[in-house]
Amino acid sequence: MTDDTSLQSLRQDVRAWLAANAPKGWRDASRTHQDFFQSQRAWFLKLVEGGYAIPHWPAGWPGGGRSLAEQKVIYEELAAADCPRLLLSFVSTFHAFATLHECGSEEQKQRYLPRILEGETWCQGFSEPNAGSDLAALKCKAERVSRPGGDVYVVNGQKVWSTMAQYADKCLLLVRTSSDGPKQAGITYLLMDMKAPGVSVRPINQIQGDEEFAEIFLDNVEVPVADRVGEEGAGWAVAQATLSSERGLTLMELSYRMRGALWRIAELIRKNGHREDAGVLRDFGKLATQVDAACAIADQFLDNRIKGLERVGDASIVKNTYSRALRAYSLLGLRLGGIDEQYVKPITFGDLNTGNWMADFMNSYAWTIAGGSEEVQRNILSERLLEMPREPKGWVL
Amino acid sequence: MGVVIERSELHDAAQKAFPRDALKPDRDASWKLAAEMGWLMLPLPEDAGGLGLGRDAAAAIHFELGRVLSRAPLIPAMATVQALGASDTLADKDSWIERATAGEFLTTSLLPGSGSVFADGNAPLPRTIAGVPDADLASHVLVFGGGQLVLAPLADATLAERPLWDESRRLFDVTLGDAAPVVLAEGDAARQIAEQVQIELLFALAAESLGGAGAILELTVDYLKTRKQYDRPLAMFQALKHRCADLRILLGAAEALLWSEAVKPAITLAQAGGLKAHATEVYRYVCEEAMQLHGGVSLTEELYCHLYMKRANLNVQLGGDADRWTEARGREVLAAAE
Repeated sequence: MTDDTSLQSLRQDVRAWLAANAPKGWRDASRTHQDFFQSQRAWFLKLVEGGYAIPHWPAGWPGGGRSLAEQKVIYEELAAADCPRLLLSFVSTFHAFATLHECGSEEQKQRYLPRILEGETWCQGFSEPNAGSDLAALKCKAERVSRPGGDVYVVNGQKVWSTMAQYADKCLLLVRTSSDGPKQAGITYLLMDMKAPGVSVRPINQIQGDEEFAEIFLDNVEVPVADRVGEEGAGWAVAQATLSSERGLTLMELSYRMRGALWRIAELIRKNGHREDAGVLRDFGKLATQVDAACAIADQFLDNRIKGLERVGDASIVKNTYSRALRAYSLLGLRLGGIDEQYVKPITFGDLNTGNWMADFMNSYAWTIAGGSEEVQRNILSERLLEMPREPKGWVL
Repeated sequence: MGVVIERSELHDAAQKAFPRDALKPDRDASWKLAAEMGWLMLPLPEDAGGLGLGRDAAAAIHFELGRVLSRAPLIPAMATVQALGASDTLADKDSWIERATAGEFLTTSLLPGSGSVFADGNAPLPRTIAGVPDADLASHVLVFGGGQLVLAPLADATLAERPLWDESRRLFDVTLGDAAPVVLAEGDAARQIAEQVQIELLFALAAESLGGAGAILELTVDYLKTRKQYDRPLAMFQALKHRCADLRILLGAAEALLWSEAVKPAITLAQAGGLKAHATEVYRYVCEEAMQLHGGVSLTEELYCHLYMKRANLNVQLGGDADRWTEARGREVLAAAE
């Protein structure tokens, strides 16, 4: 798509700003989780200062009020300059923002939104050990109790797969306030302070040595009723606002980054003497086209959204196309890397195409499982876009 | 630019002319209609009497004709018109273009053998050329060889049809006679035009393949919704739904790639080849799955499955196979990363 004049000038501005401000050598500075946390925080605050951290927030916020077309330009340039992705602040600037902006009270907005720009981070307390793809089956229990300073919810239960919860100040929490009626109807949405008594966080040791996710244990945690978003029992609808907050920008950015990282496979081909190996060249050529297709569908999705032409199921096509390409990318690198890749190498936090091929392969599951697994996407696509009938409900254990 | 035509208008026009439920429309009537609609002029630049439309315009037509399993040889015809338009030295160029866009059929080989635009043009002009579509209906064949791009007359040529599994297309082995060819271009100019024609053909094959893949996938999903076993429609079984979803994902991404590359001002030969390899593999695979999902009825001649499956398998070979193009694309990306 060719830019019109205003987009072109924005692109020039972003490019110039990034040339002066984009962090260099951030991969080497992200070898430990602590360092990663520090570098993420510093980069986010820098972007806030530059006016490019929250282009999707409304006008009035620093750098806010950008159209989707403008947001796309900013993300394209961030990817092209190989900047660190904003992971630590992702839940805060997208999920917490969208939830508060669309469903929060005036008081909640004024209280929490400015702090996000000062670096306060949020995590998501949605999934539970027995509520993954079937999120509405969640059981974490909240009971309303009177206290002298005002009513509170007393929360007990466990949350899991919460990204970087160990660093979070606040939590977007889904709890069950009733077991009557359909399971969606008894869910309530709370804003929880991670430092409240009774909250304990245990990072999950992941197979590649990362600790990106954590479990959250809640033992008689008291959350003021003033920190409830929406009415009691209306949490499921609020959660939809949270989950639909970011549609397409991340996958476009990631696809472009993967295309930018094809050189890592080219390097392996040269290093291992495959330059004239037709079989290897074919697999590489196939991968390049697959990655191009992932970029094209992510682009098309955003362009359609800009024009208001998004169809139900389109997002599932984008997600599964990216996750398949990412798997293929890591598998080709793993194969060409040979035995070298079976010796442990240091991992890099915050990047999916690092050239540590075993780690990249293991990380690729984050995209085939998280955020609605490939199988859930296939259900959405077949039932909503292809209009194939649902299986009958009512099977009882 | 004089006229702005949206791609969707071309899709609409083609669907009106070739309704989606009428498969394998009559060849001669289709050809006449295509000429009347002005589609043969689509590859021409404005200064050669065309509309100055992008590559996506022609691709839209091929996409729709692929859906209905068109039998009219629009792909070689439009590629040859493009070569005419690109020639700087052809005497009577305007009159050639007028004849070709009015419906006189000029063909060209779709196989990467000697004499085709996919061949190394340095070898001498061959006497025999394989893979020439509908040669018995054509006045000339576009041939690349001996450092020249020429139109060879077919009036005194010997034609041998090679029956195909795909009955919606016809290919001939052509042995040229002694009549003198008309030279379109020589040397570097000939090579440049041959490359442009290759890109055009690869796009056309990719577009027609994805049109066909979309059609057979829709037919398959419709069939699964209708056919009942175990007291429920087959479309209710998650195992089958997920396979259809995967096909839709493959197809959606391949289509996005086609349309995004079709509007790029410049594209390399290897990129077009990579696209064609990808699109034809998607088509072939959708057909492979469509047959399995239809079950036994897909093995009967009266059902449509085999028509798409045979056409898809031929498309894999036309314009050079996946091995050729994925290797070329791999080399190109490798070189770019140096």
